[in-house]
Amino acid sequence: MRCLSGWGIALLLASLTRVAAGELVVQVRDARGRPLANAVVTATGSASVAEGERPAATIDQIDQEFVPQVSVVRVGTAVRFPNQDNIRHHVYSFSPAKQFELPLYKGTPAAPVLFDRPGLVVLGCNIHDWMLGYLYVVQTPWFARTDAEGRALLTGLPDAPLEIAALHPRAKFPEAPPRTRWSPGDATTLTLEVPVRAEVQRPRAGRSAARDYR
Amino acid sequence: MPAAAPHATTADRVRFTSFQARLLTWFLGLFVVVQAAGLYLVGAAQERNALNQIGAALEVGAGVFHRLIDARAERLVEAARLQSADFAFKQACAIGDRATILSVLQNQQSRIGADLMLLADLDYTVVADTLDSLAPGSPLPFSAAIEDALERGEEWTTTIVFLAGRPYQIVVVPLLAPLPTAWIAVGFRLGDPLAAEIRRLTLTHVSLLRRGDAGAWEPFATTLPAVRRAALAPALAGAAWAPDRSVTLPLAGEGFVTLVTSLETGAIPVVAVLQRSLPEALAPYRRLRAVLLGLFAGGVVLSAIAGHRIARLVTRPVLQIAARARRVEAGEYGEPLQIRQQDELGRLATSFNRMVQGLAERDKVRGLLGKVVSPAIAHELLTGEIALGGEEREVTVLFADIRDFTTLSERRSPQEILVLLNSYLTCVTAVVETNGGVVDKYIGDGMMALFGAPLSHPDDASRAVRTAVQMIAAVRAWNRERDPLHPEAIRIGIGIHTGRAVAGNMGSATRLNYTVIGDAVNLASRLEGLSKTYGAAIVVSMATRERAPEFGYREIDRVRVRGREAEVTIFEVLGEPGPASPAE
Repeated sequence: MRCLSGWGIALLLASLTRVAAGELVVQVRDARGRPLANAVVTATGSASVAEGERPAATIDQIDQEFVPQVSVVRVGTAVRFPNQDNIRHHVYSFSPAKQFELPLYKGTPAAPVLFDRPGLVVLGCNIHDWMLGYLYVVQTPWFARTDAEGRALLTGLPDAPLEIAALHPRAKFPEAPPRTRWSPGDATTLTLEVPVRAEVQRPRAGRSAARDYR
Repeated sequence: MPAAAPHATTADRVRFTSFQARLLTWFLGLFVVVQAAGLYLVGAAQERNALNQIGAALEVGAGVFHRLIDARAERLVEAARLQSADFAFKQACAIGDRATILSVLQNQQSRIGADLMLLADLDYTVVADTLDSLAPGSPLPFSAAIEDALERGEEWTTTIVFLAGRPYQIVVVPLLAPLPTAWIAVGFRLGDPLAAEIRRLTLTHVSLLRRGDAGAWEPFATTLPAVRRAALAPALAGAAWAPDRSVTLPLAGEGFVTLVTSLETGAIPVVAVLQRSLPEALAPYRRLRAVLLGLFAGGVVLSAIAGHRIARLVTRPVLQIAARARRVEAGEYGEPLQIRQQDELGRLATSFNRMVQGLAERDKVRGLLGKVVSPAIAHELLTGEIALGGEEREVTVLFADIRDFTTLSERRSPQEILVLLNSYLTCVTAVVETNGGVVDKYIGDGMMALFGAPLSHPDDASRAVRTAVQMIAAVRAWNRERDPLHPEAIRIGIGIHTGRAVAGNMGSATRLNYTVIGDAVNLASRLEGLSKTYGAAIVVSMATRERAPEFGYREIDRVRVRGREAEVTIFEVLGEPGPASPAE
């Protein structure tokens, strides 16, 4: 009877977490142990991965901000940048991974932008200095972004040892992201610690109090 | 004039023989001392005040200077930020073509009129530099300043750097694309124009110096004229100064109040030296001091004049009084002093005049007294004690009378008689006094004279007899002189007796008469009366004859006079020894 209830509890727990095979929950924290949102988690295997379709991704501009602020796409993805504001934006990036600009436009540009090199693409708007977006272009097809609790769910993982890495726009050591090895038989929850810099809010224009002549 | 210096100690007494000199010396001396003390204190206070004011002005100037540098930096930052937000600029920097970047920098630089503009990587490697003083790829010399600013959380940095040996004020801002991808530095050269501008604002001389390799200060910008410029660095090296505290430094012989303040710089210390010329700042005080000195000199002159005048107001009346006193001493009373002053000296003069008047009256009284009583008696009265009573002594009394005076006066008016009488009495009185006698009194036409009181002589009787003889002769002469034509001559009779009597003051306390009382007096009077009876001009008693033997006598009779018990022998005086003078 006791043995049976123990298995039953395990099953119950398993059904509650719903982590199926090929799935991994990554908990990302900062150096102080606080959950880190908007961190990008990637799983990289040694074997090459078959090319697949790259679904089109979208980064919106809503209320003069990039939404979502942090995105991840696979190399070769075309990303659309629809402008949902009633004002024009001039989206640009000078990142080595992709230098492009979408001069002042409304609505959706005709063609999406193809990101064919891996790396971090920092997005800005030429006429709104505070608009910042981060687009991680990664090689691997397995990636996720942490939510507000710092949790990300990797799915469709192959049955092979993988290297799990965590990236964050404010990482103190962007060239050396925290990594760890993971195999399918290991625990289904993983914690990574990413030291990050303090967040510096850029003031939005037009919303600050008037400053007297100084 | 004083014999020694005016400011003397008690051991070195000054003798002033002139009130004027004393007054002037003390007056002027006090004035000079007080004024000199005042001048000195005022002068010292002025200098202190001026230095404090200059020090305060320099501190304000230093504050203005720092604010000006900050304001320029802020202007640079704004310009640099605007430039760095230029999209084409961002594009050019992203492309990485060095030549393009340089030309863009040059373009931007000329847009804002800066003296230098450069771009460096995030790792502080120079990419392009319009000044061409830093080789591309070389490290940025002021990276430490940027790091410090980042640590402080500031978005931009300003500092002073030396490039190609020249000083520049630069600001460094990040190139945001949209995250910082490079550092942009914009700079202005620091030189004399900056110093001149600060001088216009602060009205002080401004010099900027850097510490050279040898540790000495080297000026790279200054508003000082050439002569002082060269002296500045050695003066700073030689003097002890602390930052932001004013000291006085000599530059080519002129004192400058100096304030040294440090500038925010990198490795090479840079200071700003603000200075004001001390003589220039003290010029208004010097003018004031000159005015005060002029006032002082004028005051000395005026005080001297005033002192002289005041002294004269005192000395002149005093000398006048002294002169009159000398005259009074010599006996001339003269006119009263006319001194118009109403003050104490005027009162002194008035009192003096009244005193002199009193003296004059007393003198007159004494003279009158001498006339009334005879100078000898007057003297006796004045010098001796005035007391009733007398002393007994031997005196010779002489009585003289005009014969038939009544008949004479019948035919004349009273006025004529008075004149005649006065003339006669003057004549015979002179004779009496010449012979040392004293006229006791006049009794109508008669006269009583004393010999032996108040002063006695051993030959008083002889004097009396001689007097009588001379009187007769004098009257004869007087007759001839008076009326040579008229035969009516005035004849006198004289009686003389010597005996003991009391001589002294007779009368009441308030009214006295110096005279002699005694039997001898009566007898002399009776003898005079007998002169007519016997037809002898001069009748004397035995007592007199015994005491004056040198004269010729003729015994007349032995009589008993009225009022006397004893008989006396009477004699007629024939004249002096020698040829007998015929009796008239």
